[in-house]
Amino acid sequence: MTDDVELTASRGAGPRHLAPDDVGLVQPRDFVHAAPFEFTSGQTLPGFTLRYETYGSLNEARDNTVLICHALSGDHHCAGWHSPEDRKPGWWNNLIGPGKAVDTGRFFVVCANVLGGCQGSTGPSSADPATGRPYGISFPDLTVRDIVLSQKLLLDHLGVSKLHAAIGGSMGGMTAVLFAIEFPSFVRRVVAMATTSREGAQAIAFNEVGRQAIMQDPAWAKGDYPRDGGPRVGLAIARMMAHITYLSDASMDRKFGRRLTQQAPGSEGSFDVHFEVESYLRYQGQSFINRFDANSYLYITRALDQFDLVQAYGSLERAFGPVEAESLVVGFASDWLFPPEQNRQMALALLRSGKRASYAELATDLGHDSFLLESEGLYALVRGFLERGPGGAPTQA
Amino acid sequence: MEKHVEKRTVDMRVIGDWVEPRARVCDLGCGQGQLLDYLAQSKGVRALGVDLDFAKVASCVRRGVDAYQGDMTTFLKAFPDGHFDRIICSRTVQELNDPAEVILEALRAGRFVTVGFVNHGFWKNRIHTLVRGRKVRNAVYPTSWFESRPANPVTIADFEDFCRLKSIRIARRVLLLGDWKTPCPAFPNLLAGYALYDLTRGPA
Repeated sequence: MTDDVELTASRGAGPRHLAPDDVGLVQPRDFVHAAPFEFTSGQTLPGFTLRYETYGSLNEARDNTVLICHALSGDHHCAGWHSPEDRKPGWWNNLIGPGKAVDTGRFFVVCANVLGGCQGSTGPSSADPATGRPYGISFPDLTVRDIVLSQKLLLDHLGVSKLHAAIGGSMGGMTAVLFAIEFPSFVRRVVAMATTSREGAQAIAFNEVGRQAIMQDPAWAKGDYPRDGGPRVGLAIARMMAHITYLSDASMDRKFGRRLTQQAPGSEGSFDVHFEVESYLRYQGQSFINRFDANSYLYITRALDQFDLVQAYGSLERAFGPVEAESLVVGFASDWLFPPEQNRQMALALLRSGKRASYAELATDLGHDSFLLESEGLYALVRGFLERGPGGAPTQA
Repeated sequence: MEKHVEKRTVDMRVIGDWVEPRARVCDLGCGQGQLLDYLAQSKGVRALGVDLDFAKVASCVRRGVDAYQGDMTTFLKAFPDGHFDRIICSRTVQELNDPAEVILEALRAGRFVTVGFVNHGFWKNRIHTLVRGRKVRNAVYPTSWFESRPANPVTIADFEDFCRLKSIRIARRVLLLGDWKTPCPAFPNLLAGYALYDLTRGPA
C-alpha cells in the first residue's frame, strides 16, 4: 500500500491527536516469544519478537478484540500518533478511533508488525543470535500462515479469548481470512478487503519485477549487506513500480495529469525529472528506502506469491470448510492488483461452503489503495458489520 | 401511504407461509433486506440477499442479513444444483434483462423459486392505458416514464404462458385483487392486482 494517503485537512483547530475521535498518543510495545518457533517450511527460529500497538481495552470476557492485519509495506502503527509533532497518524487512523467505524470505545484493537517485517518485529534484518549478524537470506522461508501463527501467540499472551474480528486489506485480508481457517473457533468475524484467495499471475509478475530490481542491484550482495547499506537503488525502483499498481489510471490522471515539475534541471539532460508523476514516484522510492528493508521486501512478496488457498487445501470450499466466522468481503471497482472478481470469488466460495458471508463493492476510482481512503460508505459498512448482533439471523447448522 | 405499507407486507404474509423453517433462502433484488429479516426472525431461515446497490447491501449487512452485491445470473451460476431451498424473485422480474435466464438458473440452483409481480393485465391498468393513453402510474409505480427504470410489464397470462413453454411446474399460486389481500375468485388476468407463484422444475 502507499504511505501517502490523502487525509482531509484536520477538522477544526487544535492538535489533531487531541481530536475526540482520535486514539491520541500511542506507544508501540514488544512481545518476545522466547521459545523456538517452527515455520511452515519446517525451518525454525530460536524465538522472535513482534512489535505491536493496542488501543481501547480488553473487556472482562476478553472477547472484544479486533485484530488489524497490515499489508505488504504496512506496520503495527495503524492509528494514533507517536508524538504531537508527527506529520501523519497511523495508516488506518481514518477507520480506527473512539466512535469511528472500528470503535476503540467498544473494541480492543491490536495490530502487530508481521514476522519477517522490518519495523521492530523479527525479520531478515534482525541479528541472528548464533552469529550476531543479520539473518539476511538465511531467515526461514515465510508464509502468510507463519504470520498468522506468530500473531496468535501474541494474542494468547495478551489474554485474548476470542477475536471479535480480524480485519485487513490486501495481504492483511489474506491474513484475516487465514486466521479464520487456522483458528475457526477463535475468530467470530472477518473483514477482508481488496484481497484474493490465491495470488494471480499478474500480481506474482509485479512482485518478481520488484524482487529483480533488488537482487540485480550489486549492493544486495545475496542479501548479505550491512545494516546501513544494501540495495537502495533496487529497493526504490521496486517501490516505484509497486506504487503504480496501488493506484489507477483515473486517480493518477487526476493527481498529476501531464503537469510538469518546477525543479531546476539537473545533470541528466532530457532525462531529468520532467513530469510531476516522475518526481512523485522518485520521492516515494526514496522515502521507502529509509524505512524498509530490502530482504524483508523479498520475503514478504514471496509469502504473498505463495498464498494459494486452492493449492494448500485442495479447493476453496475445503479451505473454508472449518471456518466458523461470519465474513464480509469488500472489493473495489478500480483495483487492478486484486480485482473485484477475485474478492467476489472468495465470498462466493464461502457461501458455497455454507458459511455466512457478504460481498460489497465500492465504485471508487482510486485503485487498490481504495481500502485506505476516506469513504463514508465503507465506514458505515464496516461499522454495521462489526456492531450487529451475533448471528443477526440464526444460520449455519 | 398506509395502503403502500400494507402492499409491502404481502410478500411477508404469503412467502412466510410457504417457507419451511430453517430453509436456505435467497432473495434476488433483496433491497434493504426487510423480507429476509422477517423470514429469519419468524422462520429461522438462513438468509442471503442479492442486490446491485452498495447502500442496500450495506443496510442488509447492518441488520444481520448476509448479502451479495452483483449480477443475479453470475451469482446463481456460482452455486451447484439445488443449493438453495428457495430463491425469491419478488417484484424484480419486470426489470430483468433476461428474465427467462434468471428464472431458469434459479430453478437449477434452488428447489423452489418464488416469483411475485404486479399484474399489468389488471383492469385498472388496462383502463389507464386505454383512456389516458399514458404510462401506467399508480401507488406501486408512481413515477413518470422519464424517471423510471426500464421495465418489461408482465401479466398473469404472459407469465403462465412462459411456465408452460419452459415446462416449469407451478406448485402454488396466490392471486390477489387490487387490494393485494382478497383472493381473486375468477378471471385473474383481468381482476388480480398481484400474483405470487411458487415454481419447481419439471412438467406442469
